[in-house]
Amino acid sequence: MPHDPYKALYIHLPFCKHRCAYCDFATQAISADSPAIDEYIEGLVMDIRRKAKEGELAHIETVYLGGGTPSYIGQKRLSSLLYALGVSMDLTPEVECSMEANPESLTPELIRDVYALGVNRLSIGVQSFDDGLLKTLDRIHDSARAEEAVRAALERFENVSIDLMCGIPGQTPDMFLADLQKAADLGVTHVSVYPLTIEDHTPFRRMVDSGELEDVNEEHEALMMGMAPNVLGAAGFHRYEVASYAKDGYECRHNKAYWTGVPYLGLGASAVTMTQNESRRMRVQDGQVVDDLDRRQMCAEDLMMKMRMCAGVSEEEVREAALLLPDVLEVFRGLVRDHLVKRENGRYTPTLGGWLLGNELYGRIYELAP
Amino acid sequence: MATDPQYIRNFSIIAHIDHGKSTLSDRILELTGTVAKRDMTDQLLDSMDIERERGITIKSQAVRVMYTASDGHEYQFNLIDTPGHVDFTYEVSRSLAACEGAVLVVDATQGVEAQTVANAMMAMNANLEIIPLINKIDLPSADPERVKGEIEDGLAILADDAILASGKTGEGVPDLLEAVVTMVPAPEGDANAPLRALIFDSYFDPYRGVVALVRVVDGSIKKGDEVRLVNAGTEILVEEVGARHPAEIALPELSVGEVGYLVTGLKDVSQVRVGDTITTSKGGVTEPLPGYREAKPMVYTGLFPIESDQYEDLKEALEKLSLNDPALIWEPETSHALGFGFRVGFLGLLHMEVIKERLEREFGLDLIATAPSVEYHVFMTNGEVISLHSPQDMPDPSKIDHVEEPYLKATIMIPPDYVGAVMDLTVSHRGTFKTMNYLSTTTVEQIWEIPSSELILDYFDQLKSRTKGYASLDYEFDGYKPGALQKLDILLSGKPVDALSFIVHKDKAYDRGRVLCEKLKGIIPQQMFEVPIQAAVGGRVLARQTVRAKRKDVLAKCYGGDISRKRKLLEKQKAGKKRMKAIGNVEVPQEAFMAILKVDE
Repeated sequence: MPHDPYKALYIHLPFCKHRCAYCDFATQAISADSPAIDEYIEGLVMDIRRKAKEGELAHIETVYLGGGTPSYIGQKRLSSLLYALGVSMDLTPEVECSMEANPESLTPELIRDVYALGVNRLSIGVQSFDDGLLKTLDRIHDSARAEEAVRAALERFENVSIDLMCGIPGQTPDMFLADLQKAADLGVTHVSVYPLTIEDHTPFRRMVDSGELEDVNEEHEALMMGMAPNVLGAAGFHRYEVASYAKDGYECRHNKAYWTGVPYLGLGASAVTMTQNESRRMRVQDGQVVDDLDRRQMCAEDLMMKMRMCAGVSEEEVREAALLLPDVLEVFRGLVRDHLVKRENGRYTPTLGGWLLGNELYGRIYELAP
Repeated sequence: MATDPQYIRNFSIIAHIDHGKSTLSDRILELTGTVAKRDMTDQLLDSMDIERERGITIKSQAVRVMYTASDGHEYQFNLIDTPGHVDFTYEVSRSLAACEGAVLVVDATQGVEAQTVANAMMAMNANLEIIPLINKIDLPSADPERVKGEIEDGLAILADDAILASGKTGEGVPDLLEAVVTMVPAPEGDANAPLRALIFDSYFDPYRGVVALVRVVDGSIKKGDEVRLVNAGTEILVEEVGARHPAEIALPELSVGEVGYLVTGLKDVSQVRVGDTITTSKGGVTEPLPGYREAKPMVYTGLFPIESDQYEDLKEALEKLSLNDPALIWEPETSHALGFGFRVGFLGLLHMEVIKERLEREFGLDLIATAPSVEYHVFMTNGEVISLHSPQDMPDPSKIDHVEEPYLKATIMIPPDYVGAVMDLTVSHRGTFKTMNYLSTTTVEQIWEIPSSELILDYFDQLKSRTKGYASLDYEFDGYKPGALQKLDILLSGKPVDALSFIVHKDKAYDRGRVLCEKLKGIIPQQMFEVPIQAAVGGRVLARQTVRAKRKDVLAKCYGGDISRKRKLLEKQKAGKKRMKAIGNVEVPQEAFMAILKVDE
């Protein structure tokens, strides 16, 4: 179908040294010298070249290399991938180009190489600076390595993000406070805070079911998620999405594209592409259409996704949506009445409670056009 | 052209559930060439999905089979397949009234069980000739000699010549066919007398209206006849008569002694009551046929549509089902919590489950069923007596003199090893032990008096599990007795939920209330606010639990690929909500209303 230009590009690298026990992402533990990785990278390079030829990369404003563990596949492969990208699109400094990395494989050499080839933002999977908790999480780095990797990244990169997890079994609020503090002290520009979720078909699920691992304590998680804005706020961060904190000017533009209905192209196994025009939105994953939305569903989805962000939606946007979704005003009134959303300065924005009860909040908007 | 009654044999097959009745019927159809082997599906006469899935027979069926006996004559067999579960005893009695003989099927491994006895008694009371048959003799554990002994000792039926058969292999079935010819009496009746025919079952055919299955006792009936239902007074113009082979084949007439179907063309389902007598409009009889008893519901439950706009659909579905099922009675009921619905009476728990399943499956309804209850008699201080079907109608305790509840006489058959276990269980269900007989070295019969309300709770399930499935149970109504009964209310967020109230014996109120609160705590999902659950009698709170407010409920990561996943999750959440009922501002799942049933775990 004739579609609006893609503005965001996601490239998936589904390889890890080790699969952590909580992980349900599309990745595999594989030896770093496996020819399968080379083949995969070659396939990606071909895809990038083809898409460039078709003109699909002409309007890309953000690039994200996610995984898996992109840093695990090594300098050589990353270099050929980034080189192909650099000659296929306009990879100027204005383009936000993020890469995910894990502490154990993020070496100073790799940092210099990817920087030289256009990456300008690193997102490091730290999860915690506590050795005991890292062990519980089945991570393969320790806190010293994590700190070292972050410092090395900051030597070359201005824009460095780390992931932190809360609600880990055994984690006290004090321990989480220390992690937040450490992130702030290291001088990163962006922090993502995730509550641990026990996903189905993971070793963690089996361990929880057998009683070997204590189940996630929702109260605890809620408490810790509530701590992050205060601690990080004091260190100059602001929250702009339910799980995302940034210093001024360092919000992740790529992720914001997902939350604001911007079309994106996904390359690699399990990567999702969102193609759309004014009246239809499709998501395709591994050649399969996973979502096919009409105008009304698009409208409801955009409202729902925007409510993940602090900015929320404007009253005008809601009024406009009412043309397609007559019940939308009633739903927003209900959300305000139940304190999931507040209405001020001409905008509807999520409350702290609304963020924690996200499924309730999003569900009500979703149901306007399921 | 009438068949000479001396070549007609009308019989049914009776058995305890699972003793292989339907399979044996299949073999008869096959062996007489009524149905070609390639067209056989298992349990051909069980036409409803639910019947096949559960391996039970719910509706009676009549099939006509032509059989050439060793005496060289061709006989018309009318085989009436009857339900086998204790809930459907009444349907068995109607079918038996249309027969002269009955084949009593007993499993060669299980032996005589409670319903074997109950069904044999009914057949004897209906003056039927009984042909004992020991089934499943192909099984390695078959013990026909022991079973013969049980039939003779327990039922006082001579079993020396009992037919040894296997519905699975077909062994013994030819002997059975011959025995039907020689042992079952030919029907007696006066071909020239005014028409008398018994309706023993009926069903609604969407194209032809109400179809009745009948047995002609006197006279004959043909297409175009003007007839009348004696009890209902309904006038009918007969649109078609015929027999089922088992496909329906129209016939010129049904003559004296014959069994067949009759298309009434009536659209109003309530006009053709099973058990009624058909006679000619002019010069017909005035006395209905005997041998018919009213079915009385034993269990009552509230059925409410989850979506209130399905109320009319539910009403229509109940109307349709009650055509075939005179035991199904219902009246409108209103609940504050659940809205408009119906109070429905059933013969027993299986009957209730089957009807609820049919309503959901065949009519596409989403229903909430409240906990089953029985009919209580409430004696008021002003001398008035109220029949109470629904706990929510319980009057204020200050105006009640006393309450009586229905009791059952329960017959339980078990191997001797389980005597103690059954004693413990039944006493804990307020049962009173009456007597015990050793039917054989392997079978003990215990007779108990037990309140119906205890039996419908979970008694049968527990009896089965405590006896490793060996126990069999039969029961009959045994009158009303006073009891210290109270209404127990469940309050959610401080407000009583009428649909969760139930009536309980005073001694059990505290335990039931406490366990139920715990159970509900596990069933009611966390809401956006705290939900206190209380159990109370009168104004006195017996137990309390709290469902804490939901604090956190969010999929934190939501990037490109997660959005589709999120949509699926929200879709599931939406579907989950649909299965819940909003009571006040609390979302309550359907299971909550049935939780009361399973409090003794």
